[in-house]
Amino acid sequence: MNQFDQQWRKLTSLARQAEDARGSSAPYGFSTRVVAHAAGMPLNSLSIPFENFAFRGLLVAAVCGMAAIAFDYATFVTSTQTDAYVAADMVGDLLDLS
Amino acid sequence: MGDDPFDLVACLERVRQRDQKASRQLVEHLYPLVIRIVRSHLPRRVAEEDLAQDIFLKMFTRIAQYQGNVPFPHWVSRIAVTTCIDQLRAQKRRPEFRWADLSENEAEVLDNVLTDSRDTTPGDALAARELVHKLLDQLKPDDRLVIQLLDLEQRTIAEISAQTGWNQTLVKVRAFRARRKLQKLFQELQTKEKS
Repeated sequence: MNQFDQQWRKLTSLARQAEDARGSSAPYGFSTRVVAHAAGMPLNSLSIPFENFAFRGLLVAAVCGMAAIAFDYATFVTSTQTDAYVAADMVGDLLDLS
Repeated sequence: MGDDPFDLVACLERVRQRDQKASRQLVEHLYPLVIRIVRSHLPRRVAEEDLAQDIFLKMFTRIAQYQGNVPFPHWVSRIAVTTCIDQLRAQKRRPEFRWADLSENEAEVLDNVLTDSRDTTPGDALAARELVHKLLDQLKPDDRLVIQLLDLEQRTIAEISAQTGWNQTLVKVRAFRARRKLQKLFQELQTKEKS
């Protein structure tokens, strides 16, 4: 056993001798307050893990979306321009019809 | 709780049916267990009653998930331990430990332990407990928990594993890491004291 182990053992054994004078029964009104709070919460929380997954899923989806745009920005811009051109053509077609 | 033995199974059944009286009885029955865990792992600046309330609220929220695979008090103590660890993690920064932060009694106890100059008296116990908690504040929450249970509450590795849900190897690794950090702290304190 090295010097530190001896020192630590001595300190913890001394700390264990300290008595905790604080009571261990629930303070007056504590259980009523807790139960009143709990009554306003859903008892069956099987959905909580799914909510956590959904939130993480949303974050992952957002990161994937951003990454996809960043890696393929040129295609994205071209595609947007093509859509705009098509939209302009559609308006032209509508005007022709009238 | 009186002289009547507490029927936990029947009480749980009534709690599941949203019986408020049974819920209050359950809280009062489990309070000593929960408050003991809270006091052992209480983060700085957090009121023990607030933390105990959070633990009981989690217990009620998750009670439908309790399958009875482990005794109910064990299940609740695991909720209590994880809630305390979450609170400790939320604190993030740990203040640097300095000799000047110690009270006169704590400094004296530490000096006696470090120099092994004389046997300590039972009157030093309270100061030693405060000192140990200040030292444990310097550790990561998970490591702190392991040392608290191992060295102060004298639990076995198997018991810690059951209470925390960590495997025994992980508990041993955390204990080793925590002791190494504590050893470093002791060395720093000795150096500072000499200078």
